[in-house]
Amino acid sequence: MTPNLPTITGIGSVSSYGPLAGLIPRCPLEPSAITAWTTAGLRRAFLVKPFRPASVVPGLKTRRLDRLSAWALVASSLALKDAGIELSQVDRARVAVVFATGFGCVELTEAFYQSADANGWSGTDPSTFPETLANAPASHVALFHDLRGPNITVGSKGFAGESALIQATSLLRHGQADLAIVLAGDTLTRAVYEWYEAAGLLSPACYNSESVSEDGGFVPSEGVAALLLEPAGRLEARSYAHLSSGRWAAGGQPVDTIRQMLGGSVPSLTICAGNGAPCATSSTTALARELTGYGAVIVPPQAVAAGLADTSALLHLILALSSRLGSGQALLLGTSGDSGFAALLLELP
Amino acid sequence: MTDIRKTIVVTSVGVVSPYGIGLDYLQAGMFSGKCCLAPTKDLYPGFEGTTAQVCGLPLPAEGSNSGYSRTDRLAVVAARDAVADFDCESVAFRESGVVMASTVAGLTEIDPGIAQDPAAWYRRGGLLRASSYPVAHVADTVGAHLGIRGPRCAVSVACASGAMAIALAANMLLDGAAPMILAGGSDALCPFTLSGFNSLQALDPSPCKPFDQNRKGLNLGEGSAVLVLETLAGATARNANVLAVLRGWAMTNDAFHPTAPQKQGNGLATCMRLSMEMAGVSCGEVGYVNAHGTGTPLNDIAEANAYETAFSGRQRPIPVSSTKSYFGHCLGAAGALEAALTITAVRCGALFPTLRLSNPIESPGVDWLRGEVRRQTLPLAMSVSAGFGGSNTALIFGSGRS
Repeated sequence: MTPNLPTITGIGSVSSYGPLAGLIPRCPLEPSAITAWTTAGLRRAFLVKPFRPASVVPGLKTRRLDRLSAWALVASSLALKDAGIELSQVDRARVAVVFATGFGCVELTEAFYQSADANGWSGTDPSTFPETLANAPASHVALFHDLRGPNITVGSKGFAGESALIQATSLLRHGQADLAIVLAGDTLTRAVYEWYEAAGLLSPACYNSESVSEDGGFVPSEGVAALLLEPAGRLEARSYAHLSSGRWAAGGQPVDTIRQMLGGSVPSLTICAGNGAPCATSSTTALARELTGYGAVIVPPQAVAAGLADTSALLHLILALSSRLGSGQALLLGTSGDSGFAALLLELP
Repeated sequence: MTDIRKTIVVTSVGVVSPYGIGLDYLQAGMFSGKCCLAPTKDLYPGFEGTTAQVCGLPLPAEGSNSGYSRTDRLAVVAARDAVADFDCESVAFRESGVVMASTVAGLTEIDPGIAQDPAAWYRRGGLLRASSYPVAHVADTVGAHLGIRGPRCAVSVACASGAMAIALAANMLLDGAAPMILAGGSDALCPFTLSGFNSLQALDPSPCKPFDQNRKGLNLGEGSAVLVLETLAGATARNANVLAVLRGWAMTNDAFHPTAPQKQGNGLATCMRLSMEMAGVSCGEVGYVNAHGTGTPLNDIAEANAYETAFSGRQRPIPVSSTKSYFGHCLGAAGALEAALTITAVRCGALFPTLRLSNPIESPGVDWLRGEVRRQTLPLAMSVSAGFGGSNTALIFGSGRS
């Protein structure tokens, strides 16, 4: 039993797998062709198929929102539903929202630039501007569910998802919230995709359906993953995992720091959270092997999650939990740059 | 009995503001009553208004090939100022974390040309400029520039960002995430935000009048402030000078409207009360509030109502002022700059008045500071911030001398 550890009791996601409450059923997934803008030949990505949010969350109005805010609303609602949380029974002033994003509301930021391009800076659209702010999705989640606790939007190069999980855990630990909805995600737009392309980061699989995504480079993806985090102990709560501890840093000695965090234990499972870096050359896998030896199970980065770049960790975690790889200690591990790393220790029931 | 491992202190403050580089310039300018708000015409064609700009300062990495946005450069200047006297070879410094707030980030480097054909815009030199777009870039730049390798995190919660960065850094220190954390905010003026606030008709074309009954809106400014936070245990171990103690902090959300504050200021009042609970102090013990005080009609009335609620039961009205009347609203940097000025209030016993406040909002529980700088001993002071999306943050600073 781990009574004092924050526990993941609900999962929601909007991804290439569609909008889902709970674990994601295993099925092969291929990148799909981009049609939202004119491309010079085939361009592929892991895209979220269009859906009507109100068909998933009755009563949800998203007409004026960008997709990131709409997906955050859907994913948060699905996580609450999955957890069996009835918000009318909860002190909503004690519910936090922690949202991780790399690019924020980039769709509407581009729309704002388009209005400036068409009408000049003096003729921009006032209804668009507030929705360009990175915290708009988190604030819409608070508004829709009437959540009045801390409402935080974070970014972190390589580790935004991990950072959000650690910040949310901290809020619970310090009594600043009783529940936390942790979200991480981004939308894929033309400007983002073409930036990846111009920077030479894309996998051959983005251009050719015969190539596999592990050929080097990465396949961009989009979506929002949500986890409901609460202290262990609610009787009727399901427990996907307990969050034991977490560390992230931009440099230093990852092996020493993570071993210190593990306190002598060796997790039987390591979930590698690659984030936009070439999947085939995973420094994360090498670090996992160094930390846990050859007897441990290592889940390599999943292409569909890795395409979320900075915000990949939550979807990586959900996909790994969906694989039902057993119980015991698990390490969610990410690397970035020369020696940046993030490591979260989980207890799987 | 104080637990020095759980007491968060401020050991340095770095600032870049329209007054210059350093907290001393900011303080000196404000003591003299100088207002940095000035008529501005050249920020984009057709714009005429009032802003506070950082001009003529030696910002690092000038030029479009640096990969640094103007927001990044302001942040780096403030961070360097904050650690100017530090032993940069020490383990504590090298393991430091960075929590930086911004709302604008690299939008300063992007122009509407990106909208028509992004790939062509990148080929014309935009690739590196656009790489500074993510808000995480500000924190990463500060960390990389200083060569520190602790956790780096960016916060973007509109105008409450700078204060929230400080609150989250305090949580991280309690968790042992790093021996010290550089926390603050940075934002630069750019056409995107000026145009956005202008389209919302939120800008006062003249210098703003926070809390005045005839207020017409806000003025935008730019700058950065970075506070060095650490535990008292860490500060004591390295014999650091403690400028102030962060006694309490809290974060709430209005859950009311995407842009408008809840008129009664309930969310902000709750935030202030929670911060006082954390600090273990009554509302009568807080001697001054550095307000959010934007000068917009909706914000200021909600804020006044929040003070009435949060400080009800005091024997005397709570002294409140808005320092945005000196150098405008610096968005993601505002909360950090105002935290720096709240620390100044505690350290120097100096309460800066709101400029141009001739006809204050009627609020019997509030002592609106105006006229001369008020001098009084001040054990505790609060800084409050609020923003689009309903986010609120309150920070309480106490004297470091005790």
